[in-house]
Amino acid sequence: MSEKPELIINGKRNDGRSSGDLRPIRIESNVIKNASGSAYIEWGKNKIIAAVYGPREALPKHTADPEKAVIKCRYSMAPFSSLEEHGRSGPNRRAIEISKVTKEVFENVVMLQDFPGSEINIYIEVLQSDGGTRAAGITAAAVAMASSGIPMTDLPYAVSAGKVGNEVILDLDKLEDNYSDADMPMAIAPIQNKILLLQMDGTLSREEIKRAVSMILKAGETISKLQVAALKKPYEEISERYAKE
Amino acid sequence: MQRIVVPGERLEEKPVHLENTIIHENNTYSTVMGIYDNEKRNLVPLEGIWYPRHGDEVIGVVEEEKLNVFTVNLHSTYKGIILVKYSEGDIAPGDIIEASVKELDKTKTVVLVRPRKLSGGKILAVKPTKIPRILGKGDSMITQLTEGTKTFIKIGMNGVLWMRGGNLDLATKVILRIEEEPHKTGITERIKTMLEKSV
Repeated sequence: MSEKPELIINGKRNDGRSSGDLRPIRIESNVIKNASGSAYIEWGKNKIIAAVYGPREALPKHTADPEKAVIKCRYSMAPFSSLEEHGRSGPNRRAIEISKVTKEVFENVVMLQDFPGSEINIYIEVLQSDGGTRAAGITAAAVAMASSGIPMTDLPYAVSAGKVGNEVILDLDKLEDNYSDADMPMAIAPIQNKILLLQMDGTLSREEIKRAVSMILKAGETISKLQVAALKKPYEEISERYAKE
Repeated sequence: MQRIVVPGERLEEKPVHLENTIIHENNTYSTVMGIYDNEKRNLVPLEGIWYPRHGDEVIGVVEEEKLNVFTVNLHSTYKGIILVKYSEGDIAPGDIIEASVKELDKTKTVVLVRPRKLSGGKILAVKPTKIPRILGKGDSMITQLTEGTKTFIKIGMNGVLWMRGGNLDLATKVILRIEEEPHKTGITERIKTMLEKSV
């Protein structure tokens, strides 16, 4: 790996943000007609499409659970999504891991007991990546799941926090992700106040974790608002269109 | 007042038992995208899945006959079955049928009875949550549609419609329009104008 670049200069990060700032986020829902629910997210330079299909018959049959629905998730990065090599030979270790953690996030919020014997598929396709794609993917998949009409107890969001030197920072981009001292993505169910995902690279002290969590919860309010706005927008647009007639 | 709600949005600051809601720490939250009327205390889902109920009339396609059971594709999460002894011997795989829901068994398979074969015509799948909208208050919408297009329409609660005769194209167009429109009052009037313009 090349020499570590200076990540914070005069209190500003390499893209001009201060430590607690999010990158600009734009979310759109219902972007794929054939899916039960879908969403597109632009989170900084990340561009991700998430789609949800189902509940439908679980295939192969042995994967079905007679008590509840099963969630199957596939996270994949497009071959052209980043500078490194991705997706030329099927899912790699990293993609399998992210698929697993995403699946576990949704197993805690989707009301699976309503659909025994069926499966719900979540597909997350990363078109362009710039760090923090698992968090952005979960945020988009939550919007897709809600727009599909599958009952959920909460609308989860995810965002990462980390550390550069002695400074705790929010929402790491690719450069910070590669060279930071710690990176901690978290997924939260805001109503139930539950942590659905917590991973960490590097080390953080107890105080630093507390500070990171409070930053994540504060940023979560913004992200939740964007998710809700994205979900309501298609219906408001139709209302406006017919109001003119 | 009516408002659009999303999963995890608080509906009431007290526990209210409604469909498609959960109660958490004495507050009521929605679990689906829907329209909530806080005066009538009514949550109507905008998107959703059909939950089979006893007596629901459904439309489906017979898929195969195996071990004295016909399986029926209901275009939904749930699969339908008809015992051959209840089928009265006049249905075969490939047929479009109308039937009633008898029960939901343990594995959430829909047990159907009284199958009637529907010959000719075409089927159209819409969102199951819009079926009450297509029927209208006291069947007003569907009556208006049948009169306007002279099409014979049968409605399955699973979100599958069967249509035959008359102006099929117009009927399809109107139904898709009803499916797309949000839950706003005065839709019957708007559809009436649409039908009159097309004639």
